[in-house]
Amino acid sequence: MVLENQDNRNLWEKIGDYFSANSIWMKWYCTGCGAIELPPTMTSRFDMERLGMGPMATPRQADVMLITGYLSTKTLRRVIYSYEQMQDPKYIVAFGSCTINGGVYYDSYATINQLDKYIPVDLYIAGCMPRPEAVMNAFADLISMIKKGQANGWRHYQENYEWYKKNQLDSLEEVIIHDEFHE
Amino acid sequence: MMNSMNNIMKQVDDVLNVLNKEVISNRQFAIDINKGDVHQALTYLKSIGFTQLSIITCVDLIADNKFQLIYILNNWELGLFVIVRTDIDRDNPSYVTVVNIFPGAKYYEREVHEFFGVTFEGNDSSFKPLLLEIWDDIPPLRKDFDPQVYSDRKFEKRDSDKIYRSKIGGVKL
Ligand code: SF4
Repeated sequence: MVLENQDNRNLWEKIGDYFSANSIWMKWYCTGCGAIELPPTMTSRFDMERLGMGPMATPRQADVMLITGYLSTKTLRRVIYSYEQMQDPKYIVAFGSCTINGGVYYDSYATINQLDKYIPVDLYIAGCMPRPEAVMNAFADLISMIKKGQANGWRHYQENYEWYKKNQLDSLEEVIIHDEFHE
Repeated sequence: MMNSMNNIMKQVDDVLNVLNKEVISNRQFAIDINKGDVHQALTYLKSIGFTQLSIITCVDLIADNKFQLIYILNNWELGLFVIVRTDIDRDNPSYVTVVNIFPGAKYYEREVHEFFGVTFEGNDSSFKPLLLEIWDDIPPLRKDFDPQVYSDRKFEKRDSDKIYRSKIGGVKL
């Protein structure tokens, strides 16, 4: 599904986007192998703070969620939970071929094949796995998309909630998490 | 090291009814035993120092219509591993739990039940799911389970008219 890109923001939204693009908090939720590229991206070697981005431990205070690789059905349930807890505007950057078409896990019984059926993805980074240079490049792209009002995945999720829910339930049957150790 | 392993192998051979034994490395050996003798074997091995059950796992020998249950025990004093193997029937696979010998077996048996469908009498918790959350097919690590079919049924694929394949044999190294 293609996300629409027309710019019909009002002035205040433009100003809001301008400011939020310059202060992005990234939620720590590492799902696949690509998570290992984040420490160099965050620390002094590549240093994402140069772009005004910082790590955030909880979904409610975060702006961007990185899906760093394959998602098993089990992880996808947790990702949907966390995504729905995040406040608007929120963005998703998906890493690696696993999120695009299943990658090397294309025939696994436990992993999904196409992430944007379940949650709206603003930006994909291709590669298995993408190097920190690619990740930094994607962050820069994300920032310019936010400034131009093109990172509208969260709005798309609200408007097409039924479609997303249907896909989620088709693959997962239930998004509610049952956990015998905490119930 | 080899010496103490040979001693233990000999000792095990004398006491237990071993069908077949195999040296895997200088710290590891395997024994095949009848399915009736496993509890005796594990109790005996535990008493001579193999106090840790490292894992219980299973192999689907579909050609022989058997499941092979595998118990790996570890001796911390000598740094030795013994692999105890036994075959059970593949139709209606069922076996008796070893939780009374190794309580930690509770979770390993749950896992074997989940991935192979082997039931363990005496371990009621083995029927609960452990890793897969909502499973609706035959146990996924059986050889007659086709993950591609399952994946096609459950997880939508991306349509693309372009398929990129690497040329096998086309690359000179
Ligand atoms: S795309 Fe490659 S590196 Fe990334 S999660 Fe998949 S297999 Fe791992």
